[in-house]
Amino acid sequence: MLVLAVKPSGGVFLRIPGTDRRLGRLATLALLPAALFLLAACGAQPNENPTGDDAAPSLFTGEVVTTQGIESASLYLPIFIIAVIIFILVEGLLIFMTLRFRRRKGDDDTLPAQTHGNNTLEIIWTAVPALVVTVMFLASMAVLNNVQATSDEPDLTIDVKAFQWQWTFEYPEEGLSFTGVGKTGPEMVMPVDEVVRIRLEAVDVIHSFYVPAFFYKLDAVPGVVNEFEVTVEQPGTYGGQCAEFCGLAHGDMFFTVRAVERTEYDAWVDAETEAANATPAPTATPQPGETEPPVGTVLDISTTGDDPLAFSSTTLTAMPGETVTVEYLNDSVLPHNIAFYEGEDSSAPLIAQTELMTGPGALGTVTFDAPTTPGTYFFMCVVHPVQMTGTFAVAA
Amino acid sequence: MTAETPAMDPAAQEHLEESGHDTQRGGMDTALLGMMLFIASEVMFFAALFAAYFNARATLPVFPPEGTEFIDPIGLPLFVTILLITSSFTMQWATGRIRAGDRTGLNRGIAITLIIGIVFLFLQLYDYSVLILEDDFGIDSGVYGTLFYTLTGFHGAHVLGGVIGLSVILARGLQGQFSRKHHVAVEAVHYYWHFVDVVWVLLFLVIYVIK
Amino acid sequence: MATTTYPRPATTYVSRRSKVLEWLTTTDHKKIGVMYIITSFGFFLFGGVLALGIRTELAVPGLQFVDQATYNQLFGMHAIMMIFLFVMPMTVGLANYVVPLQLGAADMAFPRINALSFWMLIAGALLIVSAFLFGGAPTGWTLYVPLSVQVAATGVDLLLLGLVVLGFSSILGAINFIVTIFKMRAPGMSLMRMPMFSWTTLVTAVLLMFSIPVIAAGLIMIFIDRNYGGGFFDPAQGGSPILWQHIFWFFGHPEVYILILPAFGIISEIVPVFSRKPLFGYKAFVIATASIGALGFTVWAHHMFTTGAVFLPFFAFFTFLIAVPTGVKFFNWLATMWGGQLRFDTPMLFAVGFIALFLIGGLDGAFLAVVPFDFMVQDTYWVVSHIHYVLVAGAVFGIFAALFYWFPKMTGRKLNERLGKVQFWILFIGTNVAFWPQHMLGLDGMIRRIPDYSGNAGWTELNFISTVGAFMIAFSVLPFLWNVFVTLRKPADAGDDPWDAYSLEWATTSPPPTWNFDSLPDVRSERPFFDAKHPELAPPAPETQPEASA
Repeated sequence: MLVLAVKPSGGVFLRIPGTDRRLGRLATLALLPAALFLLAACGAQPNENPTGDDAAPSLFTGEVVTTQGIESASLYLPIFIIAVIIFILVEGLLIFMTLRFRRRKGDDDTLPAQTHGNNTLEIIWTAVPALVVTVMFLASMAVLNNVQATSDEPDLTIDVKAFQWQWTFEYPEEGLSFTGVGKTGPEMVMPVDEVVRIRLEAVDVIHSFYVPAFFYKLDAVPGVVNEFEVTVEQPGTYGGQCAEFCGLAHGDMFFTVRAVERTEYDAWVDAETEAANATPAPTATPQPGETEPPVGTVLDISTTGDDPLAFSSTTLTAMPGETVTVEYLNDSVLPHNIAFYEGEDSSAPLIAQTELMTGPGALGTVTFDAPTTPGTYFFMCVVHPVQMTGTFAVAA
Repeated sequence: MTAETPAMDPAAQEHLEESGHDTQRGGMDTALLGMMLFIASEVMFFAALFAAYFNARATLPVFPPEGTEFIDPIGLPLFVTILLITSSFTMQWATGRIRAGDRTGLNRGIAITLIIGIVFLFLQLYDYSVLILEDDFGIDSGVYGTLFYTLTGFHGAHVLGGVIGLSVILARGLQGQFSRKHHVAVEAVHYYWHFVDVVWVLLFLVIYVIK
Repeated sequence: MATTTYPRPATTYVSRRSKVLEWLTTTDHKKIGVMYIITSFGFFLFGGVLALGIRTELAVPGLQFVDQATYNQLFGMHAIMMIFLFVMPMTVGLANYVVPLQLGAADMAFPRINALSFWMLIAGALLIVSAFLFGGAPTGWTLYVPLSVQVAATGVDLLLLGLVVLGFSSILGAINFIVTIFKMRAPGMSLMRMPMFSWTTLVTAVLLMFSIPVIAAGLIMIFIDRNYGGGFFDPAQGGSPILWQHIFWFFGHPEVYILILPAFGIISEIVPVFSRKPLFGYKAFVIATASIGALGFTVWAHHMFTTGAVFLPFFAFFTFLIAVPTGVKFFNWLATMWGGQLRFDTPMLFAVGFIALFLIGGLDGAFLAVVPFDFMVQDTYWVVSHIHYVLVAGAVFGIFAALFYWFPKMTGRKLNERLGKVQFWILFIGTNVAFWPQHMLGLDGMIRRIPDYSGNAGWTELNFISTVGAFMIAFSVLPFLWNVFVTLRKPADAGDDPWDAYSLEWATTSPPPTWNFDSLPDVRSERPFFDAKHPELAPPAPETQPEASA
């Protein structure tokens, strides 16, 4: 701890409280940028991580919860030990030689023995490392076989669609689909102790499905379906993140995996199915040929296939209290919606929003009354809250 | 101490004059070695493009993709292939002539090779125009179109480079700069021209014939 | 026997009035080498500032200084500058200056093409830097498709063109070095008597020649897809995104050996001289270097283990195998030091620091060869740690060792030892402070290429420490710049052979005359100048001077 003190002359210095010791000028100068830096850092906005574990990272593997992952992680310690041995050997030799063979004052000019080589030694230190790496290779291949093994009939199949910058998890057998919103992303629920096959597809660019607790990642590549199987052995919630640079919000592409007992999983499936059926769509997507006239003033907005991460306009206007129908055409292959908020940003109360829909050719409408107070309000796509935003101007 | 190069060993001096180039080692002429290495690097360039072709060929379920078709080798492609192979012969003949000291033969041979090269380029451009305008087959016609135009296009660019090289040695040859002992540039260009021809033959076989 | 001194010529390239035009039009390998060295050092500073931008943002959670869009340009440009505009041109510059001298030649085989290579570097560099003005290149230096095809910024196109120009410059340079080494060695200098730095330059040049054309083709393919509707990498048109990764890494892996082999050669020059012994196992060293070069072409897909598109056993096997010749080199260096008389002038400090720390980067790589482990740490800070141990503790240490070692030959003055030691220790400690914690971060799952991370992930402390290390590294440059400044104002009194060294560049004045040598000693071993100074230890003169074969 340091205390800021004032000299009688008016100058300022840093003092260790309870003593007379001061920090020298140079040290103070060095501390200043650090202090400013921390000050700036403290003013930063807080972060959310769905499963931040606060555990301090170490030189050893952390929590691994799948059968495959545990086997992969088991390779780490033997190799680590070999690496430490080599490290101690080489660094130890270096330190020893630095001290032992250092040229000292009083040494004359005689040259040390001009050894050019030693065949035996050279053969040994070529053969032994070759042997060591061969053993490591064979061991890693044995583990790899198990990690990559797939079964004929997995207990559960989940389809993952990765896109900029969210995930959609689909359960084809159960008929469920979840698209993530915000920084937490979607949640993938699965039963423990069962073989789960995960199939990866990428819609736009290469992404990567990475769950550190699985000790595993696999890329999602456009035009290709990659799949892998895991058996989670321990119930819990595990964080995941896209691990292949995919553009602007790559660092925000989170998701979670929640592994539960089979009974709890079944209950979850039932609850989700019920919720999906029960909730009426906030707006009905008009069927082709339907001629029901839109209510109030129509505001058109769209997203094109060529520019799939933008609204066609960033300003919509209405009169105070006016009834408006927003018709949003999503002609891109990414999931979008449009949501209106009664304030400057999404922390304000939600006025209304369309359903989340994936194009091309997906049309969503929502009818609502504009706020009665004139002002500048906010709209955005809930899946892309940073990239797709706009102003909803209400003026007389 | 003056700034002149030191006197040379007589054996080295004679060797220098024999080889016609400033090298103090036996073996291939320095500039020629440079050209061979350059050709090797160009081979790697085309290897990458061919690799892209083979990759598409091997991995796509339908090749060429929907909307594009293989191009018939009979006709213009076969004709330009015969032309280019002929030009390799004329270039080889020209090189043989100057190795025997025949300057006139050299110039004639280079001129014929050069004309064939220019005709090749024009015919390729004509072929492109037909494909683009009549068959609506362009560089944006799926991966097959992209591969076709990139491979043949860069080959054509290399032919153009060869044409420039041929023009230079023709100009120098007409000025009498080459002799039996001193004609490294001719050797270099002739190797390059063979390289260009070999790449075309491979292209022709892979894209047009074997498909 | 005392060092032979040569009468100082009336004119060297330093003492003549060096007009700007003279430097702009020079074809002298020494001047070109100096221009490469100065230019690349400038980009070292530029790339370093970008690194500081990255580390400053990552020091604590939250986006304080840059937004996502800007950050995404920073890491790509940092890598591009450090790789293509710093390490590669710097090693080319050092090789340009030193290799002809080591071979006993008067210049490179093709001096005008040598100059062309340098000016193409400038042209390519201008294109790449201008990318910043046009939206940058927010794609990472690996330019993975489809992202790099879809990103709108024109900066990407400028980057692609700039890299193609640089590539061509490198190919021409590589051809120049190969021809020079094969054709212009001094009489008696067979290939197996060539200094190790020249050997590593030869293998590096071969790697360049075979790998750069491949990436050039790939870069052009991206350009075509971006601008002409091409379908190389677009699945909708029958293209394949994975094809780019194969093309890129077929170049990209030899590229990392291109970045490190010159440093290996530099260490192999310095350690023997400062141990007062010959290099232990010269022949094995040559074979190891050639093996690393050849094997370097067989391992590329180990960067693609997580794509699901790779035959894993093949690439894992060769990745493990390449550790063997690298290990051989380590043992050779250690055996060279064993029983020697070690002098720890600054070049030796950097060389020993290299051995001590490159080891860590190499061991990191061995871990990555274990495919199931790679599944966990690919695209995490484990890889970032590995990269920076081999490139900073490796290439950068090697470069500073070379600069301190050959500075007196180039300028006639030895750099100040005290300042050198200060720089070394700050850099040594800073490198470890910056990059050691990144092992742990990667192992804990922190991915790369993100501007921010969560406050509750437990990563804050290590990131902050890493940032402190980055600033230490930056700070260490200051004593070096000061060192160069004060040294150049001293009189040029270093002499021909300030280090009591072995190879031919020390057998002429410092700096050498334009024509390099007035006379050459006999070459009867890989240490011709040592033999000239110690005739009692030198191999006997052969009956007839052997006509050295290529």
